[in-house]
Amino acid sequence: MSTNSHAIEPKELMAYLDGELPPDQAAEALSHMELCPECQTLVADFRSVSQALMAWEVESPEIGIPSEINAALGERFQKREAPKVSSARLENRVVTSRWVWAGALAIVCVAVGLTLTLTSRNRKEDRSTAYPRMASIEQYLMPANAEIAMARSAAPESISSDAKILVLGWHGYETAIEGRNGFVCVVERSWILPFNSAEFWNPKVRGPQCFNPAAARSILPLTIKRTEMVLAGLSKAQMIDSIKAGFDNKELPVPEPGAMSYMMSRTGYLNDAVGHYAPHLMFYFPLTDKASWGADLLDTPVTMNPQFQGGPEPITGFVIPVGKWSDGTAAPVI
Amino acid sequence: MTSDEALMLEFQRGSRAAFEELFARYRKPLYGFFGRRLNNPERAEDLTQETFLAVIRSASRYEPRALVRTYLYGIALKLVAAERRKFLTSSTSGQSAPELKTDGTPDCVLWVRQALEKLDAPEREILMLREYEQLSYSDIADLLRIPVNTVRSRLFRSRLALKSYLESEAKSNPALRASAGQPQPGRRGMP
Repeated sequence: MSTNSHAIEPKELMAYLDGELPPDQAAEALSHMELCPECQTLVADFRSVSQALMAWEVESPEIGIPSEINAALGERFQKREAPKVSSARLENRVVTSRWVWAGALAIVCVAVGLTLTLTSRNRKEDRSTAYPRMASIEQYLMPANAEIAMARSAAPESISSDAKILVLGWHGYETAIEGRNGFVCVVERSWILPFNSAEFWNPKVRGPQCFNPAAARSILPLTIKRTEMVLAGLSKAQMIDSIKAGFDNKELPVPEPGAMSYMMSRTGYLNDAVGHYAPHLMFYFPLTDKASWGADLLDTPVTMNPQFQGGPEPITGFVIPVGKWSDGTAAPVI
Repeated sequence: MTSDEALMLEFQRGSRAAFEELFARYRKPLYGFFGRRLNNPERAEDLTQETFLAVIRSASRYEPRALVRTYLYGIALKLVAAERRKFLTSSTSGQSAPELKTDGTPDCVLWVRQALEKLDAPEREILMLREYEQLSYSDIADLLRIPVNTVRSRLFRSRLALKSYLESEAKSNPALRASAGQPQPGRRGMP
């Protein structure tokens, strides 16, 4: 493939497929690819290679923990004389760490406490001081075509192709494309994070999301409202007060029954800790006990999203990972 | 679901349940890692066990700066390297390499194994770490101690080379063409 007439080099295209490009470049790659048959062919080639490789499965015998490992474990715990951590205590710790992470968790859905955040070696910087204030507005904006492509990538094409698309402009979200199915797709920015998040002003955050009709009416207004307040220069305290007042005087709606959204884009960047994260669905309710969904238990796939949860929005969101990106390709299991 | 890193920290603090969960999550992937590189099921099982034993022995030194996934494959890579060295030494004293077992192996799998064999070893390792172990470019770079750009370049070259093998094999074997391009449900690969 010649690179002369392409905005994206073949290696970058490959990196895009591997989820290795930063969001702006990923969006650029996506929008270029949609219009470039040559790139589509290359992408198809890469995928066929990958699929062929996947034919080589290695069947592992089903066994429990071998006796040698059991013995080593026994020796280790005997040496430590450490108190055994009960499963309840373990669970509590996990939940606690999730809450700690909540502050760092970017966008809406990415609740999933993913304590993994603790780890990334690329995150040695102190996130509490990395984004102390709002960056210049230009840093949050994107080229319209790239933003449209990214917004659409939040949901499978069968949904997003007929969805209304909003893009962020200098004065707030604007309608770029009218929809026909009641869904609304948008790329959220960092200020949709919890107000105490260290990444509240992270200009790299891009959260592609497609709201179903019920969520478009009852959850999307929060995105719009926060964005308007940010662009108007309100302080966090002023924004919190305004949101509280909005719910008190019913200017802001409570979640409608059936409100949910798709976040299945491989091009998003949800925060510095989780990057693209994994594709998932979000479900919204008025403040709800997470136990009613079995969320945040050790072996459940459901996580409560700490994004709102009374801070100040009286909304509970649950996150459920799915196994595929919006383009139908397989995704990492979280 | 609890992250691997949280489980590892719990294990450091003395939770056996946390270790058991990590074992359940990684036993099969690690067995696959060794199985593809050694072509010897017994050794694959042994080295999988060795990896977990190494985790137990060095748990107190684990720091949450790297993903547990990367940490485990780092140990596994060292074990594979040691195994190969051992084989090299023993082969000079008359032992032969394990035969490539092909009984009952589907054509498309044989093709994959043969195609991978044709790649240079460093490119093959990078491709396998990416495709089968799903490691990021930077994780692979760290594990192999090479720059990220080198990872990307070699990955690109190896994928193009495999595509070329795939096309030539498919031309000479139509049955392979039909099977090689089919996605495998439930498996992760390059999207």
